[in-house]
Amino acid sequence: MKQVTGMRMGLVLAAGLMTVGCSTQRANSEAVQRAETAFQAVRDDSSVLRSAPKDVIRAGESLARAERLSSYWGTGSDAQHYAYLSQRYSEIARERSEQMLNQQRLTKMQMDLQRLQLALRDSKLESVQQQGKWLEEQILALANVESDRGLVMTLGDVLFDTGEAQLKPQANRTILKLVQFLQLNPKRVVRIEGYTDNTGEKAFNLQLSTERAQSVADTLVDLGIDESRIQVQGYGDAYPVDANASERGRAQNRRVEIVFSNAKGEMALPRG
Amino acid sequence: MNIQAMTAGSLLLLLAGCATDPAPTQQLRLADQTVEQARAVGATDDNQAMKLAIDKLAQARAQMANGNFKGARLNTEQAELDARLAEDQLLTAKGQEQIKALDARIQRLRKQLGDMQ
Repeated sequence: MKQVTGMRMGLVLAAGLMTVGCSTQRANSEAVQRAETAFQAVRDDSSVLRSAPKDVIRAGESLARAERLSSYWGTGSDAQHYAYLSQRYSEIARERSEQMLNQQRLTKMQMDLQRLQLALRDSKLESVQQQGKWLEEQILALANVESDRGLVMTLGDVLFDTGEAQLKPQANRTILKLVQFLQLNPKRVVRIEGYTDNTGEKAFNLQLSTERAQSVADTLVDLGIDESRIQVQGYGDAYPVDANASERGRAQNRRVEIVFSNAKGEMALPRG
Repeated sequence: MNIQAMTAGSLLLLLAGCATDPAPTQQLRLADQTVEQARAVGATDDNQAMKLAIDKLAQARAQMANGNFKGARLNTEQAELDARLAEDQLLTAKGQEQIKALDARIQRLRKQLGDMQ
């Protein structure tokens, strides 16, 4: 009886050991198999091979070691260890390749970006030129071309109260156009000339005409036009554009004229 | 007697073989550096591989203290590769972020350009 029990126990023990052996063996071969699959995938990927050849080689070496060890008894944990290392090398190689591909994509995108920036700058420039042309047309519509003085724009007396030099708000739109026009044509300079009708004293009229011209000049400077581009001149009641006999004629004569240089900055000499 | 002595001798030799597994001091230092480098790139415990690396290094240190040099070596070797993988995963992710940011810029420029035409 005793002997039979002992034998039975021995058998159970042996069977147990075998199962343990088998299960660790199976775990080994699974780990090795996983490493093998990972290795084959990186080995067959040309971009991985190119970007991380050393890691692919190490993955292969570790895998070979794991395979060798898994065929021996009692080296199961070592086999698993090298399978693990092999798998890691394969994963690292894949990351490296991913990084290289990202880098290539980034380089290409940088080039796209530069190309787009250039295109955008060109089209902005074009639109600025178009805007400049439009403004020039607007200014030309407000101005006359005189044979001796060139381009002249007149700001009528409705923009000033009688006896006042302060520019009225109605002038703002015209002045803004003028500012934009000067900003887009940086070489052009202007001479601002003030005129009055013949009512009142000559000396007062001369001073008023100068103050009116100066007030327009100040506004231009406030809006960012460089002072050096602006001359100011008062002519009092000289150079009337209409007879001072009627109210309508006098209104025509109370004015500020803006004389533009040509695009190169060359301007007709002041009157008188 | 003779056979017994031989068996004892070979057993001793086997034990000696185990005992002479050298302390992986150098490897441990290397793995430490790799973990530090991964940390410098920005790897944290949130990264699975990084967490494994840190845990295995701690385990290796404990094994070193217990004289289990082989266990320490295995853990150290694995920790080093875990940390390298963590670093590379982070670098890959950073590249992808750069791509995303650049792509957004390109899309914005494209839209601006489209608006102007």
